[in-house]
Order: sequence, then C-alpha cells, then structure tokens
Amino acid sequence: MDKVYGAYLCTGCSIGDVLDVDGLKEAASENGMEMQEHACLCGEEGQALIKKDIEEKGVNTVVVCACSPRVMQDTFDYGDGTITVRGNLREHVAWTAQPEDKDDEEAAEYLQEAGEDYVRMAVVRAQKGTVPEPYKMEQITKSILVMGGGIAGLTAATEAAKAGYDVTIIEKTDKLGGKALGWRKMFPTAYPYSELEQPNIEQMIATVTSNDKITIKTETEVARISGAPGEFRVTLKPAGTESEWDAPEKVGVDERDLIEKGEMEDPNKGLKVYTETNPDAELVGAVVLATGWRPADVSEYEHLGHGTLNNVVTNAEFEKLAKEGKVPAKVAFIQSPGSTDNDRDFPYCNSVTSMVALKQAQYVCDDNGDNAQAYILYQHMRTPGNTELFYKGMQQRDGVFMTKATVTQVEEAGGSLKVTAENTLLGENLELEVDMVVLAAGMVPTTVDESTINLAYRQGPGFLDLDLFDGYADSHFICFPYETRRTGVYACGGVRKAETMEETIDDATGAALKAIQCIESADRGVAVHPRSGDLTYPDFFFQRCTQCKRCTEECPFGALDDDAKGTPLPNPTRCRRCGTCMGACPERIIGFADYNIDMIGSMVKTIEVPDDDEDKLRIAVFVCENDAYPAIDMSGMRHNKMNTLVRFIPVRCLGSVNMVWIKDAMSSGMDGVLLLGCRYGDDYQCHFVKGSEIASKRMENIGETLGSLGLEPERCAVEQIAISDYDKIPGILDEFVESIVEMGPNPFKGF
Amino acid sequence: MSMNVQPDIEFIKDMKEAGGDTLKKCFQCATCSVVCPLSTDENPFPRQQMIYSQWGLKDKLIGDPNTLLCHHCGDCTTHCPRGAKPGDVMGAIRAYAYKFYGWPAPLANLASSGKNLPLLVAIPALVVFLVWLISGANVLSHEDFLHAGYTNFFGEGYMTIFGFKLLTWNVTFINSIMIPTAALAAFASFKGVTALWKKMSDNTGVGEALYRPSVPQFVKEFLWPSLVEIVQHERFKKCETNEERIRGHQPLMWAFIALFFVTIYSLISQDVLGRFIPSLHGPMAMWNPVKIVANVAAVAMIVGIVILWKNRNQMVEDNQGGNTFYDWFLIWMIAGVGVTGLGAEVLRLIGVVKLGYLVYYLHLLGYLVYYLHLVSVMMLFLYMPYTKFAHLIYRTCAMTFERYRDSAYVKNPVK
Repeated sequence: MDKVYGAYLCTGCSIGDVLDVDGLKEAASENGMEMQEHACLCGEEGQALIKKDIEEKGVNTVVVCACSPRVMQDTFDYGDGTITVRGNLREHVAWTAQPEDKDDEEAAEYLQEAGEDYVRMAVVRAQKGTVPEPYKMEQITKSILVMGGGIAGLTAATEAAKAGYDVTIIEKTDKLGGKALGWRKMFPTAYPYSELEQPNIEQMIATVTSNDKITIKTETEVARISGAPGEFRVTLKPAGTESEWDAPEKVGVDERDLIEKGEMEDPNKGLKVYTETNPDAELVGAVVLATGWRPADVSEYEHLGHGTLNNVVTNAEFEKLAKEGKVPAKVAFIQSPGSTDNDRDFPYCNSVTSMVALKQAQYVCDDNGDNAQAYILYQHMRTPGNTELFYKGMQQRDGVFMTKATVTQVEEAGGSLKVTAENTLLGENLELEVDMVVLAAGMVPTTVDESTINLAYRQGPGFLDLDLFDGYADSHFICFPYETRRTGVYACGGVRKAETMEETIDDATGAALKAIQCIESADRGVAVHPRSGDLTYPDFFFQRCTQCKRCTEECPFGALDDDAKGTPLPNPTRCRRCGTCMGACPERIIGFADYNIDMIGSMVKTIEVPDDDEDKLRIAVFVCENDAYPAIDMSGMRHNKMNTLVRFIPVRCLGSVNMVWIKDAMSSGMDGVLLLGCRYGDDYQCHFVKGSEIASKRMENIGETLGSLGLEPERCAVEQIAISDYDKIPGILDEFVESIVEMGPNPFKGF
Repeated sequence: MSMNVQPDIEFIKDMKEAGGDTLKKCFQCATCSVVCPLSTDENPFPRQQMIYSQWGLKDKLIGDPNTLLCHHCGDCTTHCPRGAKPGDVMGAIRAYAYKFYGWPAPLANLASSGKNLPLLVAIPALVVFLVWLISGANVLSHEDFLHAGYTNFFGEGYMTIFGFKLLTWNVTFINSIMIPTAALAAFASFKGVTALWKKMSDNTGVGEALYRPSVPQFVKEFLWPSLVEIVQHERFKKCETNEERIRGHQPLMWAFIALFFVTIYSLISQDVLGRFIPSLHGPMAMWNPVKIVANVAAVAMIVGIVILWKNRNQMVEDNQGGNTFYDWFLIWMIAGVGVTGLGAEVLRLIGVVKLGYLVYYLHLLGYLVYYLHLVSVMMLFLYMPYTKFAHLIYRTCAMTFERYRDSAYVKNPVK
C-alpha cells in the first residue's frame, strides 16, 4: 500500500494555549509531514477537514496529535483500510501544565520539548505501521464441545444450542445429570429465598436430550484435544480406558536429551507425539469445560473421626442419606476442622458448604418436628447475595442452633456421639450429644487430580499455574472469569469455582457465550480477548529463526507448537496478541502490522536527547496499555503535574518489550528507562497473565548487561501499577527521575 | 469449664411469646454489647444472652444477674442490624424469670399474661367488694362523708372482743385484705429472691467458699451500697437514652418511699394511737406535715407515671422497645393507684366546698373511686412478685449479687 499521510494538530482543550503550535508543526515537518492545525478536530468542522483530505487527497494514514488514543476512538476511526495514529498531547502534556508555572519560561520550554517529542513519535509510528490483514483460516468448525454433563454442562449445551450452534456433550458416567441427581432438595432460587426447592435436574436433562442440535455421548472421555480455536481436533475414548491418543506430558529440550541418552524414561511411551494429527478426530470450534468437582476427603482430621466412627459422615454422604430416607433428630454440622492456631475451614469450602449445612439442617427439622436439633458449628458462615435470606430463614427455626466454634473432638459416648468445642460464642466450651456428625467436605475441582482438558500442546496437557487458584481452572478471576490460559477453552461450574446451582447456571451461560465469541472471532480473523477485535497477529520471519524456543516457552497461552523441524509453529487463533513472543525473540523476527521492533525502536530514537544541557535528562517509559497507560491518562485528566523529562511509549504488555529497545534508548543517550506494568505474582493483574512477570525477569538480565558497560543497572527499572494508582504515578516517576539525576547524565550521551 | 448443652425448645417458644419473638434473628455481631453503656468485656450482655436464648439455655438465663442489670434503654435494639431487638429479649427473659421464681405458680402464671387481664382485675375487685358487703355495705350520708371521708368505708365503730376495743371496723377490714396480700407478696418475694440467689451462685460457681460474710457485713458491704446506687439512679443514668425515663422513675420511686412512710404513720396514728385519742380518726388536716408529704408524693407519683407512660409510648413508636403486657401492666397499675388515690381525695375536698345538691352524688362517686383505689392497691401488692414490679426485689438482689460476685469473698476465697 502506498501511504498518503495527513497530519493534524488539535489546538483545543488547552493544547494551543500551553504549547507553541509552530514548534509542534516544525517537529512534524522535520520528519517529513506537514501538520494542519484546527481548534477542534473532534468537532464537525475538524472532522470535515480530515475527511476531505481522505476523499480528495487519498489520505490513508492519519496522524492526529490531540487527545489520548483511549478517547474519541470512534471519531477518529476512518475504516479498516485507514491507519490512524494518535499523539497524546492533551493528557500527557497540555493537561499536566500547572497554573502556577504560567509565567515560568523554563517550565514552558520543558513542556514544549515533551510535546514535540510526542509529535515526532506519532509521525514515526505512522510511517512504520502497515494496514493489518486478518488471519483467515482455511476452514472453520463452529460446533462446541461441552465436557461434563452436570448442571454446568447441560446449561452450556442448552444455551449454545439456543444460539444456533451444534453441541456435543460428553459425560464420563452412564447418564447425564452429575451431582445434582443425588440431591434431595436444592437451594431456593426465587424470592423470598426461604423454601428449598425440588431439584429440576430431570427437566434440564430432558431439555438437552430433546434438542436435536445437541449430541450426547455418555461413558465418554477426551483422550486429547489438538489444534486451535475454530479447528480443535478432539479424540474421544470410552471412559476409563487408555488410548494411544492420550494427551502426552510436556517433554522439554533437556528432558528430550536425557530420554535419548536413555537416562530417563519417556513419560509418553506408547503415546502418539503431540504434533501428530489424528485423522479420526472430531472437529470442534471451541470447548466448554464443565467437568465439575468431587467431595474432598476429610479423613485426615482424625479427631473428627470420619472413617473411624459410625455416624460421622460428610455432607455429600448425608445428602445421600437424606435422599434415601429420614435423617436423625440430633445432628451436628461441623464446618471447620477446628485448629487451635487458625480458623480455616475444611479445604475447598466456601459459601456453598455453608449453604449446604443450612439446607441439611432443614432436612433435620423437616424430618423430626419438635425433636429436631441441628447444630451448626462454624468458623465462617458465608451466605452472599440472596442466600443471606435463606440463612435468615433458617436462623428463625427453633431447632437450629448456630455458633462459631473450634471443634476439638468427636467421640463415641454411650451409643451416641459427643462433640466438644472451644471458643464458642456462648462463652464456654460446649459438649453436644448428637446422633450424627456431618463434616463440611469441600468441592475439589477435577483439575486438581488430572489435567482434565488433555490438550496436545507443546506446553503440556493441562492448564498452567493452577496452584495460584488452589487447582481451580481459572486464569483471571477478576477481569476475565471464564477464560483459562488456553484460548478457546472456557471453564464453568464447579471446576472453575465452588458454586451454587444458580451461580453455575449463570456461569455456564457465560462460558457458552464466550465459546461462541471465540468461534466467531476466529472466523473473522480477530483476537477474542482481551484485545477483542484486534486484526493483527504475530508475523514470524522464519528464515532468521534460530529455534531458540524462547517464544514457544514464554507464550503465556501456549499458542506456539513446534513443527517437525523444531521451528515454532504459530496457531494464530490461540494467540491473544500480547506480543510476549516479540519481546522474547533475540533475533527480533516477530512483529505485528501496527506494532513491531522497528517501529517502537524508531520511536525511541526519534526522541530528541539534548547533549549540551545537563538538566535536560531524558527517560523513556514503556507503559502497559492495559492499566498503566489509562492511569497516566487519569492523572492528566485530574491535571496532576507530570515530570517533563519522561517520555511515555505505549506497549501492548510489558511482556512485549524487547530488550533491544532499552539498548536503543541507552545508546541514543537517554539517561534511564522505566517499565510501568501490572502487578505480578500471586495476585497478579497482568491482562496476559505472565507479561509483567517475564518483563521483570528480562530486566534483571539487562541490568547485568548495563553493568558490564559501566552503566548503573539502576538506570533501568520496573514498577507495578494498578489502574487505581493514578494519583501515585507522578510521585513514582519523580522518584525515579530523582534517582537518575543523582547518578548524573548517561556518560555515552553524544557519542 | 464445659457445658453440656440441652436446649429447651419450650423455653424458646415461651420467650418468643413473651416479647422476644425476634431473638432468633441475632447473628452475634455484638453491636449490642458495644453500644450498651453497662455491658463489660467479662459480661458481654446482651450478646451472650441472645445466643443463650437462641440455644434454649433456660438454666443459664434464669440465674443470670446480667439480664437483671439491664435498664432497657433500647440502644441495642436501635442499633441492631438484624432487627433482633436484644432489649426486648432481655425484657422477655426478665419476665420469664419473674414468672419462674413466682410462688404460687398458678398466680405467677396468671399475672404474666395479658390474656388474663380481666381476671387480674376481677379478683381484687371481687375481694374488696365482698369484704365491703360483709362489713355491712356501708354508705355514709353526705354529711358524715364530709366529716369522716373514707375512714368509715367499711363501717363505723370498733371491733370489740369481750368489750375490749381492738380496732375500728374499717381498719379491721382493710387489714383483712391488705395484710394477707402483703404477706403473700413478702413470702413470695423471699422465696423468689433466695431461689434466684442460689441459682446465680450455682451458675457462677459461687458458694463453695468456706468463709462467708456475716449478715451485718453482707448488708454493709453489698446490700446497702446497692440500695444507695438504686436510690441515686447511678447505673440508670449511665444509659443516656434513658434520661427521660429517669425523670419519671425518680419521682415515682420517691413517691413510693414517701407513701410507704405515710402509710406506716397513718397505721400507727389511726389504728394504734387512735384507739386512745379518737380525734386522730378521720382524714388528716391539710396542713399536717405528713399530709403535705402525702399529697406531694401523690402528685409526684402521677407526674412520674405520666412521664413513663409517654416514654413507653415513644419507645414503642421508635421501635426501641416492644409493646408488651409485661411493660404496660405495671404502668397501668401504678397509674391506677395514683389517679384513684388522688381522685378520691379531690372528690372529698370538693365535697367540703359544698357544691349544693351536687354533693349528694359527689360523695357516691368518691366512694366508687375510693373502692377502685383499694382494688388497684391490692393489685399492686398481690401481683408485685410476678409482674414488672418484681424488679424492685430481683434487680436489687442481682445488684447485690454482682457486688458479692466481684468481691474478695468470691474472687479470692479462703479455702
């Protein structure tokens, strides 16, 4: 495409008052673009100006130096064939001017230099970008595989079928229904949330079985799933059997060597390698993982006597008794194992187990009238939302007795059981004589025991780092609840989080819609999430690939497999476009149409670095677009002061920051580099899960490189920013700049 | 110490009926104990009492001095986030305790339920009426009424044995009603207080000490300071929201104390000295200092009860306290005593002013009001140990026990 540029400067929103317009235009002109000014580019007249140029002069690359690229996106969108680049003069520059500096010439000069740099960067960006072409698959399959035939699976299947998609639902056991088949009653689902309801699982099953868009396969398991969204290849097998198509374990390069030397046994002996394609596999577009949970084992708590004493049962066993017949009159429901040094509940307990205790207490009341005595001994009762109303209702019952308590012992005493508890709300230790003790066993997701999803991916068959979520198949509980770290696989129900039936139905509906979104996005060749609709995808210049496999290893989403020769094999529909591969590549052969090594490197180099003024230091700040960049915008919107020595360069994710940019910055005489990204670790907020963590590791290494050049490693740093930190950002930057000032200018300046 | 829990479901039901219907709503957040100006860390009432009641631990509650130390200011009820009304539950526990310790039990049960109100009025009304009939159904002429007032309500003359003048007819009959009634109340109180003391001692593990205070020591160190505290309303004043109630309770309490002495004086002057000095019979002169005290007390009583009545209405309106028979019955009884007492006197005085032929009817009306006065006084006496009036004895007992419990005799016993 021959680019025809049109550059526009908006002088509204105080940009024209604070900055010297001619100077800004000069900065663009230096780089070969003549910029037209207008007092309100987003207004009718301003828009007419741009559109006229597009029509009359054939402008297809528009540079708008005005407000933040985060605002007015629709206004400055001139269609898929036209590139728009935004220079952020408003939030980053004009709005950071302080009224008290109005007559300060030096401050004005510093601000003007910042403005001119942002104009230069916008111009360079426009010059380096190309129009993205979407990745189109040769063929696409739009059906959905639902793994698991419980409430979650049934709901997901029904919802996806309602939306017009073919669904295959597979179930390990011989019938649909899952855990709900064993329930005597279910939680209330409607106001006033006081009465238990008859389980409607039979109805749900009937809906699914009568729907001809849904294929049901019972006593079936997934051996492996290979491929990518839009063309997953699913190999099924009879439940409980082994198959040569079972998903292989990950075998890294070092392990492969050991196996070849005969020093290690191949864990995948007898299995087909992960790259092999099963010709008999079924094609599906996306997968909903609804494999559910199992009751936790509580026999490790010996003082409670599960497994050794008669009539000490788990809540799951009690439900079964209740379903079969009458329950005893005096029952103690124990919600916590009762440690003296902490108040933890049984593992995998949450609000659901609290609700189950209340529900089962009602069985005791219903079956025994005035003789009923249901004791609930808890450390925590969790009844969120409307379930609180059920709690209130149960509290009113004369036969229900609740107290916070540390249960120390359950023992046999004359034909009944004696429960001893300390630290009760009654102010004294308790002894209860009961007929039965019910322990609140939690809901263990199936992903704790096995990989479950059985992917034939280079990074292995299961989800990564599930220990962050106690084994639940969840990858980003705050921002993107259904998404796992495998694009196209959406978890819902008990495998994702211990949930009530009502929550599960909502959850499964969400997962079904996500699966549909994924298929349709793959069809259109755009990213699913979090960069929904992004047309770009990573492009590899394989001739220069050294097969170092950093990209395949570091990709947080396992998008890259190996081909037969060991070269990375991209699966664009698995990709989330974070650019972590681009940041990882030492050969710099990975890039996107509108975001690549050369583009950002050139932008860094276009920043003017005065080499004759010791006060005019320059610090390049690579800013994550997801949280840090909006936070800086918000700081600007609040007219906070901003250090005028820093230059912000937006990046898709810190994971995409290639270390060559930092070398570019330092070698062009800049005095420091700062990376602003999301929090990482246990409670990470990185939109691409691993990006900021990987970036900080890379930065440790570059610190060493700088040291060997005689530069202070502290000139490069990473800061973790939450989107709510907008008021702290100016301080964080000032502090970093202050530390650079102390170190003095970059000694390589001017070389 | 471990407690073997045996919930008493009947007790929970009773509590719910007695104004504590909200008790099960409590979820033990302890907001009540925090806002309560009387609650302490060691005795976190009313939170603890709430869970005791939820768990049906009757035994714990009826021997719990803390419930009797509450002045029902209603702060806990106002601040309760669940609408569990701890203040009302505490009231219900007290009502239950008075009934529990009440002797004879049928009478105690009778006096504790609003359903029995007609019977509760009918019994004294009938007794007084029957006695009046027996005494000769005497109705004075209006001239005599002006002279004797109500002193000849049960007839004129003396009750004589072998020519020896024992007592006037009137006093004989009044005594025949009031002395057995008061004696019954006194005996019931004694039984109740001793039973409560024993229960409280058992529950707190007090009583095993070898060394116990002597009676004078006990009175000096525990009972007397409690009485002083009660009279000065020190603890009551800590409940700041109760300011208005104290304004009513204080004159009422003083009125009762004053009227107690006036009655004693009247008994001695009329019934003992009056036998020898007949001029002591008949209504006291208005300038008599004792009469002045009596009148001031009567006015104080009415003022006090009006304030309390209004306050109770306000509490109910503000949802700070329940609308229970237990609370209202005492107010009604005292109001009855005050209004009929003062009313009878005023009617007599109007009669003295001589209002033409109206006097003929006025003195009959006076008689009727005086009759009602006797009925209401008898009610007050008779039902004292079982109704809210019993706080007089039980609260004093609990406050004394609290002092005893916190003393060296218990805390640091000689073994």
